Amino acid sequence: MKKFVALLLAAMMLLGMASAFAEAEKPTLTLWCIATESDANRPAYEKAIASVEESLGVKIEWEAFENQSYKTKIKAAMADPSTLPDIFFTWAGAFCGDFAAQGNVFCLNDAYQAYKDELPEVMMQNASYGENKDHYAVPLTMNIVALFANMDLLAQAGWDKIPETYDDLIKCCDDLVAAGIIPFGCAGSETWCVTEYLEPMILKTIGYESLNKIFAGEGTWNDEAIAKAVDTFQEMIIKGYFDPDGLALGNDQVKANFIAGKTAFYQNGSWNCGEINDAEGNFKVAMFPVLDAEKATYAQVIGGPSDSLAVAATAKDTELAAKVAFELGKEICHYGYLAGSGLPAWTPYYDTADVKPLVSEVAAMVAAADGMVLFGDTAMSADPANIYLDYVSKVYGCEIDGAGFIEGLSSQLQ
Amino acid sequence: MKRTFGYRLNIFLFLLPALILFIGILIAPIIMSLIYSFCDFNSISGADMKFVGLDNYKTLFSSMLTNPNTGKLFVNDKYMGNALGNALALAALSVFIQLPIALIIALKLSKGIRGERAYLSIFFMPVLISTVIIGRLWMNIYDPGEGGLLNALLRSLGIDKWLFPAISSGIKSSKLPFTGQWTGFRETALIAAFVPILWQYIGYHMLLMYAGIKGVPMELMEAAQLDGCTEGQVNRHIIIPYIKPILRVSVIFAVTGSLKSFDLVYALMKDTTKAELPSTLMYKLLFLHNSYGLGSAIAVVLIILCFIFALLISLAFRDRGEKVA
Repeated sequence: MKKFVALLLAAMMLLGMASAFAEAEKPTLTLWCIATESDANRPAYEKAIASVEESLGVKIEWEAFENQSYKTKIKAAMADPSTLPDIFFTWAGAFCGDFAAQGNVFCLNDAYQAYKDELPEVMMQNASYGENKDHYAVPLTMNIVALFANMDLLAQAGWDKIPETYDDLIKCCDDLVAAGIIPFGCAGSETWCVTEYLEPMILKTIGYESLNKIFAGEGTWNDEAIAKAVDTFQEMIIKGYFDPDGLALGNDQVKANFIAGKTAFYQNGSWNCGEINDAEGNFKVAMFPVLDAEKATYAQVIGGPSDSLAVAATAKDTELAAKVAFELGKEICHYGYLAGSGLPAWTPYYDTADVKPLVSEVAAMVAAADGMVLFGDTAMSADPANIYLDYVSKVYGCEIDGAGFIEGLSSQLQ
Repeated sequence: MKRTFGYRLNIFLFLLPALILFIGILIAPIIMSLIYSFCDFNSISGADMKFVGLDNYKTLFSSMLTNPNTGKLFVNDKYMGNALGNALALAALSVFIQLPIALIIALKLSKGIRGERAYLSIFFMPVLISTVIIGRLWMNIYDPGEGGLLNALLRSLGIDKWLFPAISSGIKSSKLPFTGQWTGFRETALIAAFVPILWQYIGYHMLLMYAGIKGVPMELMEAAQLDGCTEGQVNRHIIIPYIKPILRVSVIFAVTGSLKSFDLVYALMKDTTKAELPSTLMYKLLFLHNSYGLGSAIAVVLIILCFIFALLISLAFRDRGEKVA
């Protein structure tokens, strides 16, 4: 009996060692991302990683970090590139551009050739830098700022559709307030949420070309039209169209309030489509109306492909890492689109009949868009982006008015 | 001679590991920060680092200057004046509110009241709890919505009807009315951040003082009581002078801790702009603005300030004829 048990244990050890060796034969790549347990993209990452591991015969060791702390972690890792993983999550625009300029990101021009039929080059543009517009990151999904509305609350105020003009929006807000309903919710303790309101209002006042130039550092903030957009935003706040509690709330609470029927509108990224679509209630989505029809159109949007994967220049096998990054990007996009956590940056190769209705509505808006501006804090590099966010924070708290906003930003950034 | 040398070599060898750790973990980063603070070092890789002399220090304190374009005080949260003022206010509150409360509790507990050990544990508990959890806890207390404990208490007592308008009239930074958004306005956010910081470390100072009071010889207190001293007089003339070295340590910890305070403000508010402290500003400059030069300058200013305050406090507590270490 003892001999049998000893033989069994020895056989199990050998089997274990054999499987370990078999596992060790697979190339192993490391990945850092922000798809934490509570992140809307988590299921998409899990499915995509499992799928790529199987199809490419690789092992992906991945770690997920909370959004804000990840920004610190990845920047600190850039100071010592040997600590970087093979593949890492990044935002496109200047965020990734700073890393590419340091030479810490592997250029993906060659690897892209194998995927150019599935991934339109326009989707790569936000992470293309230098004179030759070299590609440095693989887009996952793309997102825009969307105006979500609780149609049950709007119906209580006598509205059966989302207002499409600014005058109608104001009338609708007045009707909602008269019915005892708070029109908007906005998280003041997370400044990026304030930009989700302010940037569309500036866009719908000055137009996408001007705003793109400003974010690129080629235009001036010192524009009376921007001051007017800021003043309009503050007028809405002072009139009581925004939940006053929002000043001290985070985005999760504001979104929960909207889903629970405490506020009628919630303007935020289209990555919320899946969650709002699955919530109980009658929800629709639209865009913020035009403020100056001479310069902007309804179809101009804030957003674009930003969430991306990049390959570290220090990766053990950069070519394999690049291939895995593209495959992961394609699969995360696939599963994310079906789950409603983003719009496809890649051309769908699968049946899209099951895509959630709110996601389809936003996809239609993007298809009809006649101008796009990337999120301001992503489009600008770190220092100007954070100065800009400081001023945006002061706007929501009504600490400065439109004149103070343009004066401050033009004197500090230009 | 040979024996003496061998003895010294032994001492040196035994001290070497600690010395290497001390230099590697404390001295080297301070020296590196000092070097970075004289450089324009906006890139994380350090590729475009260039020497700029005292420019970072000038920029840091430029909030105390007037804007030449407008003639108004140049106010921007990127700069140091506002943050340093907040840290000094926190230090003052720590010394004049936190420490007296800790001393009163320590004096009461050391008298051997019933449940002394339980009270000690209860008062010390906030020190043991993770600051992130404390931050979450106070976020719920300050929540402006229906779940907020503080506002619910004020509403149930009817205090909100006069307190909120009174706070609104005191808010100069914003045109919006205060309706219970404690972390939403500059004026209230600062106080909202200070309260948990002061609360959390009362137990820490209390324990230090309690240990000191327990070390006061019983015969001294008994002699004073036999001479007719009241409890207050014993506290004032026997206990407090006896635990002066501990009070000095507590004051140094409270002041330098206030200057370095970071974690609770960061855990309590995602956007620390409304309750900016030097350490939160340093974090923003280093990791959000990528301004390593400016961030390092704040680190150096903080180190110098901590040394200066520690020295001043030691001087203030010095007995006649005593040397300051």
